[in-house]
Amino acid sequence: MIEVNQLAKKFVIENPKKLSEQERQDPRLKGRFFHSVKSVSFQCNNGQVLGLLGPNGAGKTTTLRMLSTALQPDAGSVVINGVDVIDKPLAARQKLGFLSGSTGLYGRLTGRENIAYFGRLHGMAEEAIEARIKELADLLDLHEYLDRRSENFSTGMKQKTNIARAVVHNPEVVILDEPTTGLDIMAAQTVLNFIRGLKKQGVPVIFSTHHLEEVSELCDRVTVIDQGETRFSDTIEAFKGLSDTSLSDSFLTTIAREA
Amino acid sequence: MWLVMQKELKELLRDRKTLFFMIALPLLLFPAIFGVAMYFGGQAVEKARSEVLTFAILNAERAPQLSQSLAEQELLNRVEIEAGTDISEWVKQGGADFVIEVPVNYGNNPLESGQIELKVYFNDAGLNMVERRIREVTDSIAENNQAQVFELLGVDADKRSGVLNPIVIEKINVADQREDLGEKAGGFVPYIVFILCLQGAMLPATDLGAGEKERGTLETLLISPIERHNIVMGKFFAIAISGVVSALITVVSMAVWGTILSHGMAAKVVVDFMAAISLFDFLLMFLMLVPVVAIFASALLSLSIYARSFKEAQGYMTPLVFVVIIPVVLAMLPGVDLEGGWAWVPLTNVALAIKELIKGTMDYFALLPIFGSTAIIAGGLIYFSIFWFNREKVLFR
Repeated sequence: MIEVNQLAKKFVIENPKKLSEQERQDPRLKGRFFHSVKSVSFQCNNGQVLGLLGPNGAGKTTTLRMLSTALQPDAGSVVINGVDVIDKPLAARQKLGFLSGSTGLYGRLTGRENIAYFGRLHGMAEEAIEARIKELADLLDLHEYLDRRSENFSTGMKQKTNIARAVVHNPEVVILDEPTTGLDIMAAQTVLNFIRGLKKQGVPVIFSTHHLEEVSELCDRVTVIDQGETRFSDTIEAFKGLSDTSLSDSFLTTIAREA
Repeated sequence: MWLVMQKELKELLRDRKTLFFMIALPLLLFPAIFGVAMYFGGQAVEKARSEVLTFAILNAERAPQLSQSLAEQELLNRVEIEAGTDISEWVKQGGADFVIEVPVNYGNNPLESGQIELKVYFNDAGLNMVERRIREVTDSIAENNQAQVFELLGVDADKRSGVLNPIVIEKINVADQREDLGEKAGGFVPYIVFILCLQGAMLPATDLGAGEKERGTLETLLISPIERHNIVMGKFFAIAISGVVSALITVVSMAVWGTILSHGMAAKVVVDFMAAISLFDFLLMFLMLVPVVAIFASALLSLSIYARSFKEAQGYMTPLVFVVIIPVVLAMLPGVDLEGGWAWVPLTNVALAIKELIKGTMDYFALLPIFGSTAIIAGGLIYFSIFWFNREKVLFR
């Protein structure tokens, strides 16, 4: 289970003169500080998939970076199965599997070497790594290119290898930032099936996306963030109930905007 | 830390560009520098020696013997110059390679003519040996004239040299050949070695810092269950090993090629010089380069991790070359020796020590301030790298 309570994060604007007009109008800009995340709270229980939604620049990536321990929150808390991410980041990282939106691979290593490297960093034994790579290759259909250098991988190959890399250590919580962006239908379906598999195993999954059909298909819960604040956080049924017409309208209702 | 280092080294060893700068460049640079310089130098001298030069003589009637001797030279070809011609302009335009203007007082008896000043107009910008070729002719005429005068004055043959050069300085160089050559060439060696070490570490540093950001692999590494300082140290050691390997190859290449080329050129002085530098001296040179490489590696890693991209990192690193050159150039200045305060100036002291080792005049007590100051700077920079690597503003610019 992952519990997120009133997370907040601000950044210093190094050069305010370089901000665009739209950025200047953002209410989160206060003096030399940009309050990227002002107050975000949600909870995802074991065996649930939570869809994190929000328009571009809402603060989703910053929120996920705080969950992953890459960024230190200014306020609030994140607890993963009883471990406070801020107090014990190393212990929290052992429990986390994280795929950021801009993740790349080490091009001069093979797919297998990329996955194995992160297994070793998580302290896994070599035999356990090999067995896990085989298991993940079956689940994500990686066998064909597992021993090729990843510099020549297609977007789909890269993303699937990245997902395998993120979950090689059997994490207790998985966080995926836009995992299907840029993938073809086949690759996207493999990724979505993989998320379903995690759900069956009882692993809580948080994933951000702009594809509402994926949310409808997979998610148990939905959290909508806008301008750094949680606008909605409830079950998928409650989210669907916000509008009689479509999920897009439900989404727009939460952020109080029109299409 | 070791996992990070192993992985970084594995990646670096698969990168052809890194291998070229780390291994091939130091191996090939010394023979390339010597080879190219010798080849083109030899070609230029040969061409200058064998080239037929054209010349003209103004007032030739005043110096028939000189005209005759010049005309007898196989590789000189006389042309005529019209009276009233602007000589400088004429030579510049290629009318002749040189023009000799014979003065009014030209004669064969110095007691009557005094000192004769032959004016020679020629383009001295290139290697043409004009002066040397003229001297081959005028020197023998001058010697004959001197001999005649000495005859007239009744000066004995054994006293003539005393009259011509009353005081002669005989140089007795107490420096042995190694010290002499070391003083002349020793300052140049650390210059090359430092630059190659820096070059050897630069590409890996760019790849391991800014490269990680550009590829999007840094964030993944940051959320791995290892402390940030272990990531920094893993990367630092990978960069430092690249620099050390580069340094090792440079020193070995310098020793091997120096010996091979000096044997090839049959330059006994250089062969003796290379043989005089012991294996222990080479080992010390290498050991002193280790903390130097640590300074380079930590400085480069800090710059690289700050940069957002490969290109930006290279922009930050280029000025570092100048920062390295300054202390090495200081070590080349006359009067700057491995004593007192200079023994504590980082990089300059190592450059001076390498020079002293080459000369064979190393004061081994100076190793303490050298290693001490260099290690303190390296440690400080490593500490800064770790601090830098913990800054969100640096990692997520």
